[in-house]
Amino acid sequence: MASRESGRVKDAEKRRVLDDAARKRRARKAVEALEQDNFHDDPHADLVMSKKVPKFADSNEKPTRKKKSRSAEYYKLRFRKTFGQLVEEEASFRPEPPNYLSAQAPPSKFPDRHFCAVCGFTSNYTCISCGARYCSVKCLGTHLDTRCLKWTA
Amino acid sequence: MSETSCYILDNGAYTAKVGLSTMEPKIVPNCIMKAKSERRRPFIGSQLDECRDASGLFYILPFQKGFLINWDTQKTIWDFIFSKECCPVNFSETPLILTEPLFNFHSIQEAMTEIFFEEYECQSLLRINATDLAEYHYRKLHKNEGTVVVDSGYSFTYIVPYINGKKYKEGIRRIDVGGKVLTNHLKEILSYRQLNVMEESYVINQAKEDSCFVSHDFMGDMQITRRTGSRNTIVKDYVLPDYTTLRRGYLRDIVRPNEDLEQQTLRMNNERFSIPELLFHPSDVGIPQMGIPEAIINSIDSCPEGNKESLLENIILYGGNALFPGFRDRVFNEVRALALDHFDVNVSIAENPITYAWEGGKYLFKDPDFYSFCLTKEEYEEEGRNLAFERFDI
Ligand SMILES: [Zn+2]
Ligand SMILES: [Zn+2]
Repeated sequence: MASRESGRVKDAEKRRVLDDAARKRRARKAVEALEQDNFHDDPHADLVMSKKVPKFADSNEKPTRKKKSRSAEYYKLRFRKTFGQLVEEEASFRPEPPNYLSAQAPPSKFPDRHFCAVCGFTSNYTCISCGARYCSVKCLGTHLDTRCLKWTA
Repeated sequence: MSETSCYILDNGAYTAKVGLSTMEPKIVPNCIMKAKSERRRPFIGSQLDECRDASGLFYILPFQKGFLINWDTQKTIWDFIFSKECCPVNFSETPLILTEPLFNFHSIQEAMTEIFFEEYECQSLLRINATDLAEYHYRKLHKNEGTVVVDSGYSFTYIVPYINGKKYKEGIRRIDVGGKVLTNHLKEILSYRQLNVMEESYVINQAKEDSCFVSHDFMGDMQITRRTGSRNTIVKDYVLPDYTTLRRGYLRDIVRPNEDLEQQTLRMNNERFSIPELLFHPSDVGIPQMGIPEAIINSIDSCPEGNKESLLENIILYGGNALFPGFRDRVFNEVRALALDHFDVNVSIAENPITYAWEGGKYLFKDPDFYSFCLTKEEYEEEGRNLAFERFDI
């Protein structure tokens, strides 16, 4: 076991090393993934969706409503703006702080802590190839076999 | 004009808290969900209760990064919420209190005003931040001068200082960690270490709620979870729901190999506390921001000197993450350690962290000046949409 592990460590030393830009790109992707709503495709994507809006019993107790309700689709088109556009717009509506951007909490005064990317325990070592943290030869082995340079970002 | 009740909609990015001020609020998922097991229809809001098998649930949310972006989704959910199927209301007779995120973007504010006056034909509207309602709730009961409201929700955690009922905007701090980041991180590490659960946001969110706690001694607890056998007092198994005999998972002690039960489980060891830990150390997952206690001190430090004492004595925590066991004590311990010795520190947690802001709306409706905070349909029609920006301090 031990010799296999150290053999693999030797192999690792000869391996390609991710440059700083690639490491940053990976780190950014990992943070972005924490924002994602779904990690799989819409299970109904293959269905031919009739654009029929679900009908709920009208809540207005008064029998006559002055006008017809507008569709969800109408409001989608009416108010269509991406998050990025809205942040950009905000710069002209609220140019001076305090605003959304200025409210962001600043970096901590305390040092960063490091955890093993494999098992989650505290880590003292950094993978030479990709910069991931690991805690033991065993976890480094798992890391090299599964992630390290394998998932390309 | 004064009605006997108002309608309160605390429109969160994960759940809407909704109901008439004379009743108990309903908690409605603010999303549309599609199930693999049910291909004939999506589930809107609390229709999810009718879903037999919630594995691989696909979410469609109106909010992105804490802001209302997908209006077709939101409109569909609101239509459901206001219908007889959920929580009916007649807006032509009932005033509406509606919450929005802090620093809500200009065009979203405009859209909110428009849709409630023109589509839902609202008579009186009060658009307000949920933290304003929470602060009102707290001040009503404590008669205090300064308050620090900590709202730790789905999209982010906001720290908002109030002085005599007014937001001190220079002191507002946002930490980009909320329930969604916690669930996604738990999903990621479990999928890498044990079993691919990347498609199971719904189930893993429940596993998080049922298993996680806030550690009071992080490094000490890390040591405990390194131990084997009965000396590891933290490790547990989470039994996953199979949707035939079990609808919701639960946490149980580890069974010996010979008494192995035929259920699929996830081993929860350091995961139990390293997940909520992100609220205290966002940098653990590469988010370069302060954790909650440090940000509370940073926020108070930016407030006028004379108000600091009162602010430190009146810190109130609410929002879904306040449900983690140990949350209050950890915030208290760290704020106490960071604050100057001669100041008292008092941290309290909402009795119901989910509905705390909604309940604040109930108190606000009874305020003798309530109607002066609202905008009426007539005012909106006569003076136009800009009046809404003057009246509502979002
Ligand atoms: Zn390790
Ligand atoms: Zn590596």
